[in-house]
Amino acid sequence: MVFNSLNFFIFSAVFFPLYFALRGKARLWLCLIGSYVFYGVWDWRFLGLIATSTLIDYYLGLSLEDEAEPVRRKRLLQLSLLANLGFLAFFKYFNFFIESATAGLHGLGYDGSLSTLHIILPVGISFYTFQSMSYSIDVYRKQIPVERDLLRFATFIAFFPQLVAGPIVRASDFLPQFAKDREFEWTRFQVGMGQVLWGFFKKVAIADSLAPFVDQCFADPGKFGGLHLAIGVVFYSFQIYCDFSGYSDIAIGLARIMGFDFPKNFNKPYFSQNFSEFWQRWHISLSGWLRDYLYIPLGGSRGGKLFTWRNLMITMLLGGLWHGAAWVFVLWGFLHGSYQVLGKILGPHWGKLLDAVRTPKFIRVALNISIVYFLTCLAWVYFRAGAPNIPMSEQIPIAHGVIGGIFSGEGWSFGAVINKFIVLKGVLLISMMLLVEIIDERTPMWQMVDQRPAFRVASFASLLWLIALFGVFSASAFIYFQF
Amino acid sequence: MKKWMWIPLVLIVTFVGDRLMAYLLTNAVEKSEFRYSRLYAGEGKADLVFMGNSRGLNFYQPYIEKVTGKSTLNLSYNAMPEDLGAVLLRDYLDTYGAPEKLVIDATFLDRENAELVREFRVYAQYSERLDSLLKETDSSIYWGTKVAHLTRYGGEVSQRMFYYLTKSDEDWLLDRQISKNMVAEAAHLKPYRNNYTLARIRALSEVVKAYQAAGTDVRFVINPYYPAFQKTIMNLDSLSLDVRKLTGIPVLDYSKSVTGDENFGDYQHLNKQGAEVYLGRMLKDIGL
Repeated sequence: MVFNSLNFFIFSAVFFPLYFALRGKARLWLCLIGSYVFYGVWDWRFLGLIATSTLIDYYLGLSLEDEAEPVRRKRLLQLSLLANLGFLAFFKYFNFFIESATAGLHGLGYDGSLSTLHIILPVGISFYTFQSMSYSIDVYRKQIPVERDLLRFATFIAFFPQLVAGPIVRASDFLPQFAKDREFEWTRFQVGMGQVLWGFFKKVAIADSLAPFVDQCFADPGKFGGLHLAIGVVFYSFQIYCDFSGYSDIAIGLARIMGFDFPKNFNKPYFSQNFSEFWQRWHISLSGWLRDYLYIPLGGSRGGKLFTWRNLMITMLLGGLWHGAAWVFVLWGFLHGSYQVLGKILGPHWGKLLDAVRTPKFIRVALNISIVYFLTCLAWVYFRAGAPNIPMSEQIPIAHGVIGGIFSGEGWSFGAVINKFIVLKGVLLISMMLLVEIIDERTPMWQMVDQRPAFRVASFASLLWLIALFGVFSASAFIYFQF
Repeated sequence: MKKWMWIPLVLIVTFVGDRLMAYLLTNAVEKSEFRYSRLYAGEGKADLVFMGNSRGLNFYQPYIEKVTGKSTLNLSYNAMPEDLGAVLLRDYLDTYGAPEKLVIDATFLDRENAELVREFRVYAQYSERLDSLLKETDSSIYWGTKVAHLTRYGGEVSQRMFYYLTKSDEDWLLDRQISKNMVAEAAHLKPYRNNYTLARIRALSEVVKAYQAAGTDVRFVINPYYPAFQKTIMNLDSLSLDVRKLTGIPVLDYSKSVTGDENFGDYQHLNKQGAEVYLGRMLKDIGL
């Protein structure tokens, strides 16, 4: 079920009153059943997969807690990782590995071909698998106590607001919040509703309005001039941001209404001045996960520069692969890894250069933001080319078609841009969002929503008008569902 | 103030604001110079009516009016589907009676387009037919427009309506020259089919009959394609034959009638210069 559908409104109308009417186990059962219904509306057959994943990590967690012998504890953790990554490898990466192996064999002159399977990718598998794995690892490291209540653990894994597209919430953050029943609180409801509406605005009005223009650019880049393609790439950068952060806002807002606090998942990423900062602002729950369970275990920055760069690159390459089973995602990860490494090498020199020419602070900030944004957009081209409707063999040529078209120098007049109306609408909506983000940087909106009833009424009504006026109501799925 | 009081307040402010803003926007719809605004505001009467998709925009009105001295209304729109086109044509006939001529680019029979029907929601308040088509196509959008009137005004068609608020839309045409890139790729184009269906031709033939019964001279044409692209279209002849068979009207095929890169905006569209070359010939052929 997607948030922006009639089904979800019906679901909410039943779920939320019942949620606050029930207490204790009954409420947990409602959350679990509600979450399974939420997921099952998409495809009930994959509920078994979530349940299996849940049971494996629940019982392995218990065994880990009861086991004192280090080697056996390690084996138990390996079993958990094997099961979780095994599901992920089969459902998400099997065909990718087969196709890549076949292409590799052809490259070596062998004519054979390996069969792929018709595998449906279970929605959200990357998210709940990572959430489940982090629990096992944390129990193994004795960083959190084991969860002995299966119902509570199953609800933690399947909790519907963030089940299919995150944020990836750690057991240490989430499970303790089940300890007591959360009462209905007006503050939570007010702030949560604000966040939900803002998320809907970003998804339904901005992301979905930009989507047709972007789709057109990536369907056949050869048809369009440089400016059209450049606008398409800029629009994609905002489409994916609004789509994904919109989902996160809705998820975090709904959880807040229910009494749970989830960590922030996005923090105005396009205002970043370097790539380390970008990854502290973009998909924060994933970058935190990769830092704690991959980068630091690899050695982090504890072994000299080369070692740090290697670890950064491995982390970003695997982070890229996490997003999708295609080489363009690996390439996207490679670019971000390179940006971070180059940032570490060149950053100090760049700073000195700006100091030497006495660059005013605001120009320095604007320059840094522009460079980071430009390079991020360049990487987004590869990411977008990995859309499921583009065959793997065409993904890199399409990405290069877009980049080549932009830098060809042809078609750089506004007259050559097709669908100027979508462009105008897009620019208007993006400007509105950025304006709110800039204001929010100085005066947090959520405080005003909570503390000033007049502001609350005006902002909620305005968001509803904007959603009605600019919204695209075709219940399109969120981009990150595919991951 | 009670803690919950803001909830009804939000609902009331949202509802009242929605109706007020929609009222103001409705005035804009009725005053706009956009073709469909004129159609539904009673300002659309014309001697010559045209229908097609984006290729129908090649019926370049300023030139036609200059050459023929007759008034024109071009109801073509990008990716116009047959069902929507039929609704617009029937609404025209009901409101204004028979025009002297109705010229249809037969290639617009190639698609269904639910998205464009949704886009036309801005005009559904003026046409029962359009309202029914919207309901049939997407009931959630249909009910959405009833609950929140502002939802009518967000689409691309609405934006065009605002764009033409105070200026004529008669020169709406893709006026550029085909890119070098497209010219270079033209040699490698894949075969292309017009996805027309007999059901769509039959449905349109009912509209055609209504126009003929009212005394209109109805003509079908195929507007020009870029020569290299034209060669890749596999079924233009069968489209002509089927239209003739089901409507009784011969199709005038101009698909090869214009050549030269300077006359095209892309593979499927003439630019202004190309449109004038084409129309100079076509208008004579249909007796104008």
